[in-house]
Amino acid sequence: MRWSRKPIDNRMIDSTAGRTAVVHADRPEQVLLVDDNATNLQVLYQTLSGRGYRLLVARNGRQALEIAQKSEPALILLDIMMPDIDGFETCRRLKQDPRTRGSAVIFLSALDDTGNKVKGMQLGAVDYIAKPFDPDEVIVRVEIHLKIHRLEAQLARRNRQLEADNQHILAAMNEGIFGLDIDGTVVFVNPAAVCMTGCSEQELLGRPVHALGLFGGFGACVQAHPFYSCLKEGRICHNEDGELTRRDGTRFAVEYNCSPIFEDRTLSGAVVVFKDISERKQAERQLKRAYTELEKAHRELRDAQMRLIQAAKLESVGRLAAGVAHEVKNPLAVIQLGVDFLAGVESDDGVVSEVIRDMEEAVERADSVVKGLLDFSRESTLTLRPGDINQVIDHALHLVDHELIQHNIRLEKQLDEGIGIIDLDSNKLQQVFINVFMNAIQAMGRDGVLTVKSRVERIENPDRAGLDRERFSAGEPVVQVEVLDTGCGIAEESMVFDPFYTTKPTGQGTGLGLSVTRKIIDLHKGMIDIRNREEGGAAVRITLKMG
Amino acid sequence: MTQKKKILVVDDEVMMTRMLKRSLEATGNYEVQELNHGARALEACRTFMPDLVLLDVMMPDMDGGEVAAALSEDSELNAVKIVFLTAIVTKDEVPPTGADISGRTFLAKPVKTADLVACIEAQLNRQAF
Repeated sequence: MRWSRKPIDNRMIDSTAGRTAVVHADRPEQVLLVDDNATNLQVLYQTLSGRGYRLLVARNGRQALEIAQKSEPALILLDIMMPDIDGFETCRRLKQDPRTRGSAVIFLSALDDTGNKVKGMQLGAVDYIAKPFDPDEVIVRVEIHLKIHRLEAQLARRNRQLEADNQHILAAMNEGIFGLDIDGTVVFVNPAAVCMTGCSEQELLGRPVHALGLFGGFGACVQAHPFYSCLKEGRICHNEDGELTRRDGTRFAVEYNCSPIFEDRTLSGAVVVFKDISERKQAERQLKRAYTELEKAHRELRDAQMRLIQAAKLESVGRLAAGVAHEVKNPLAVIQLGVDFLAGVESDDGVVSEVIRDMEEAVERADSVVKGLLDFSRESTLTLRPGDINQVIDHALHLVDHELIQHNIRLEKQLDEGIGIIDLDSNKLQQVFINVFMNAIQAMGRDGVLTVKSRVERIENPDRAGLDRERFSAGEPVVQVEVLDTGCGIAEESMVFDPFYTTKPTGQGTGLGLSVTRKIIDLHKGMIDIRNREEGGAAVRITLKMG
Repeated sequence: MTQKKKILVVDDEVMMTRMLKRSLEATGNYEVQELNHGARALEACRTFMPDLVLLDVMMPDMDGGEVAAALSEDSELNAVKIVFLTAIVTKDEVPPTGADISGRTFLAKPVKTADLVACIEAQLNRQAF
C-alpha cells in the first residue's frame, strides 16, 4: 500500500470514470470497425458478427471519432492507411478526448513493419493486426482485448470504490493522519489532521514533518524528531503522552503512533496517527483531583470522628476526674494537715514517727492517683528534655520493685546502653513504664518473669513493622522498648487502650492506666502496641522517635 | 511580739476548716475563724476583719470565685488578701508552693502545712498598694 494524495495512478487504464463501457448482461459490448475499404470492412464484419457483441462501422477517421464519442465502444479496430485523417491521427485524437480515451485501439494495416507497430503502441494502441489477416487471429485478439478491457474496467471500478471508501473512512476518523515519504515529507493528510493542527492542507503537504514543529519543538533537527527512528530504522514510535503544537502556538495533549510503511520489504515511509487526548487528560486530572479531595474529605471526616469520640470520652472522664478529685482531695488535704500537725507534736516514740511517714507516703500516692485521673482529662503538654530512656526505665522499675518481690516475679533486663540521649518527658514516661509494669505484674499474679528490653531499630517498612506510616517513615531509626510478661495475656487488642476498659476485678484497677499511657506516648509522637506472645503472656512495645 | 494575723478559713467541709484552724493556730502566729458557707463570707469578714481569707473554690452555695469578687467590690474589704485552696488542679498546674493565676494565688489540695504557711506569709507581707 502506498500513501498518496491520489489513488493508484490508473490514467492509462481508465480515466473516463463512469463512462467506460460497462458489461451488463442486457447490453453487449461494442466493437467499432474502421476502414476506408468497403471490402475490408465487409470481411471484418463477417468475421466478428454473431459472437455476442455489437458491431459498429466507420468508413473514415472523422466518422470513427464521432461514433466513438457517441457510443464509447470497448474496442476499436482501426485501419492506419486512410485518406484525410489516417489511423494514427485518429488514435491520437481518441486518446486525447476523455470521452473516447477508454476505448482500446487495435491497429489494422498492411504495413507490417516494426516502426509502425511501435508508433501505434506509443499512441496508446493495445495491439496490431497485420493485413491480410487471418480471421481466427482477429477473433482471438478481439476476444482477448475485450476481456482485458472488461477486467480493467472492473479493476478501475473496484479501485474507485476502494478509494472512495478510503476517503470516507479517513474523513470520518477523529484521529489525525499524516502520510510521510521516506524523507519525512508529508504526502497525505486527512481532514482531522488539518483541523487539529490548524494548518491548511497546502501548508502541510510537501513539507518535511520535522520542519512543521507540530510534535514537539524540534525545529529543523531531524535526528531529534520522534519519527526519525521510524523512518530510519522502521521502528514503531508510540507516545501516549505527547503534545501537539498548533499553527497558532497553542498546545494540546495527543497520543500518537508512527508506523513504518514497507513496500516490497523496503522502508518507503511512515504513517502517523494522532489523537487529541486533552479531554481525556483533563478528565483524568479532574478524576485525580476529585479522588484526592474525596480522600482528604474522608480523612478529615475520620479524624473529626475520632476527635469526637475522643472528646466524648474525655468529657466523661474529665467530669468524673473533676468529681473524684474534689471528693478525694479534700479528705486527703485533711489527712495531710493532720499528719503535719501530728509530726509537729513532740514525741520520742520512733513508732509514731514511722506511722506518720507511712501516712505521708500514702497521701502522696493517693494524690498521684487522682492526679493521673486529672492528667488524662486535660490537654497535657510535654516538657521534652534530652534524657536517657534506660534511666527512666530503671527509675520506674525501682518504684515497682516492692511489687515484684511481693509477687515473686523475676526481672530480666536487656537494656541497650548504646541508645544515647533522646528527647523525652522523663516524668510522664516514667508514669508510662510504671503503668505498663504494674499491668504486667497484675496479669501475672504470682510467679513469673518480667522482661524489659530496649534497643535501637531501623524501620525497613513501617507497615510490616506494624507502625503508623504517618508517624514513622522507612529507614528511620527508632528506640523500641519491649515489656514481656508471662501472664494471662490480653483478650481484645483493640480495647486495652480505651479508658475504663479493664479486666481486673472491681476495685483493682480503674482501667485508666493504659489509656493514660497511650496518651503520653501519643504526645511523644510515638506508638504503643500490645500483642499476645506465642509462649503465653503479653508483649507491650513502645516505639519512640530518635530525633 | 507583733499582733497575731487574723485568717478566715472558708470551706464547706467542717473537717477541713477545723484541721486548717488547728494547724495554723499551732504555729502561734495566727488567729483563725472557720466558716462553712461561702454565702456568709462577706458578713463574717465585716465582723471578724481578717487580714487574709483562705478560700475553697468549689462550694455548694457560693463558690470561692464569687466570694472573692464580692470582697473586691466592697470598699471596706477589698484590701483583704485571699489565698485559694482548690482540689481541682494537679500539682503540675499548681505547684506545692502555690501559683499565681491571673493575679490570684492558688494552692492545690492536699497541701503541706509548711507550704501553706509560706504562701500565707508571702501574701501577708506583700505590700498593699
